Amino acid sequence: MFRSAIVRSLRASAPRVIKTPAPFQIRSSPVAVRKQFAPCFAAQGVRFYSAPAGLNKTEVEGRIINLLKNFDKVSDASKLNGTSHFANDLGLDSLDTVEVVMAIEEEFSIEIPDKEADQIHSVEKAVEYILAQPDAH
Amino acid sequence: MARLSGLQREVLSLYRQCLRHIRQKPEESRGNFKRFARAEFQKNLSVSKKDFSTIEYLLRRGRRQLETYASPGIRSIH
Amino acid sequence: MASLRSTSRLFAASRPLFRPASFARSYATVEGTKNVEPSPSEKPNFKTFKVYRWNPDTPAEKPTMQSYQLDLNKTGPMMLDALIRIKNELDPTLTFRRSCREGICGSCAMNIDGVNTLACLCRIPTDGAKESRIYPLPHTYVVKDLVPDLTLFYKQYKSIKPYLQRDTPTEDGLEFRQSPEDRRKLDGLYECILCACCSTSCPSYWWNSEEYLGPAILLQSYRWLADSRDERTAERKTALDNSMSVYRCHTILNCTRTCPKGLNPGKAIAEIKKMLASN
Repeated sequence: MFRSAIVRSLRASAPRVIKTPAPFQIRSSPVAVRKQFAPCFAAQGVRFYSAPAGLNKTEVEGRIINLLKNFDKVSDASKLNGTSHFANDLGLDSLDTVEVVMAIEEEFSIEIPDKEADQIHSVEKAVEYILAQPDAH
Repeated sequence: MARLSGLQREVLSLYRQCLRHIRQKPEESRGNFKRFARAEFQKNLSVSKKDFSTIEYLLRRGRRQLETYASPGIRSIH
Repeated sequence: MASLRSTSRLFAASRPLFRPASFARSYATVEGTKNVEPSPSEKPNFKTFKVYRWNPDTPAEKPTMQSYQLDLNKTGPMMLDALIRIKNELDPTLTFRRSCREGICGSCAMNIDGVNTLACLCRIPTDGAKESRIYPLPHTYVVKDLVPDLTLFYKQYKSIKPYLQRDTPTEDGLEFRQSPEDRRKLDGLYECILCACCSTSCPSYWWNSEEYLGPAILLQSYRWLADSRDERTAERKTALDNSMSVYRCHTILNCTRTCPKGLNPGKAIAEIKKMLASN
């Protein structure tokens, strides 16, 4: 969490130099970063989840819904929207849910630990989770 | 969805591990592996969730199967 | 061969601490072959065998004890003979491991009438009135019927590196030789066939099998510690020198009591403890 907060603050303060080697250097010595960027870090609190890394809620939701559209086990595609519950609305069983969450992992190139993956039961939850991941893209 | 028991979570975790291992397989055979893994789980759908010893046994067997199939030498399954 | 084993097994029941050499070699005088070759007129001598059954294909069904009746006059003298006959003539679904039928492969280890032993070295108690109960090795996961899952056991065996580790070649480039005295140190150790009877009879191993190595593997550890040709003794000792690997042995000595080969894993463990303490 701490590291991700720092990365976020970094991206906020220097969005255009993000591809330079600087972030790597800084990552390896997070303590120094904290001092250096302390003001930014504090100001960041307001903009918490929607970090300017390029992912916004609509986009994430769209990508997840798209992914579900191509998932042949969804029983009723008309019920597919931003709040659909995997089991109650889309008729997916627990194994399907695992598959969906894995597909989301691949879509956003992240790895979701078991504990969190078990909590994702709906499109809403998935969107929420992805937005909280600074590494997702 | 009702809250999952520890054993249920272990089952889902095993399924997740299976899918993760399938990602290491050659692309053209991943579908086969997926269908196989899915079928293996579905075979025991009827087991009561209170039948702990059976589920524990099936988990052990599943883990062992995964260990076998995870070997890079196994490139496809029919 | 079989009769040699069987006599030693007969004596094993009242096995004295020191077995006189004459007893061990008394196979030539075994009483006839009456059991094996019955005369047809003899009246049948039925005995009941209760065998543990569990089928992995129907995992939700609980294990059961199934009874089989055999005429002892038509059955070989050993438990394994009875099991093979049940499988051949009464119930082909009965599953158990067996190979050499002479106590050298260790496949048919199981719990017979409450004692872990090899079915091929265990005489059928001649008292036909009493039933015999046959279970898989205790505290093992069962693969099917009498077949135990020994994966962990083999994994632990592998972990002790059961092979000669040596870097320096001999001066003449020939095999690594040892003196008769050094070779004698391996007696009582090299005979172990890894049947797992001792480990699965050890309460300490029941409760701590993940970390405690158990008597069979420790006997093997000592076999390599005691080998004069091995050059990694110090390394082997360090690997064992922790609170779990060896020191979960509380000298219960079930291992020594049950060993179907008459070995003494308890003593081997004591020797390891001595070696570790003398550092």
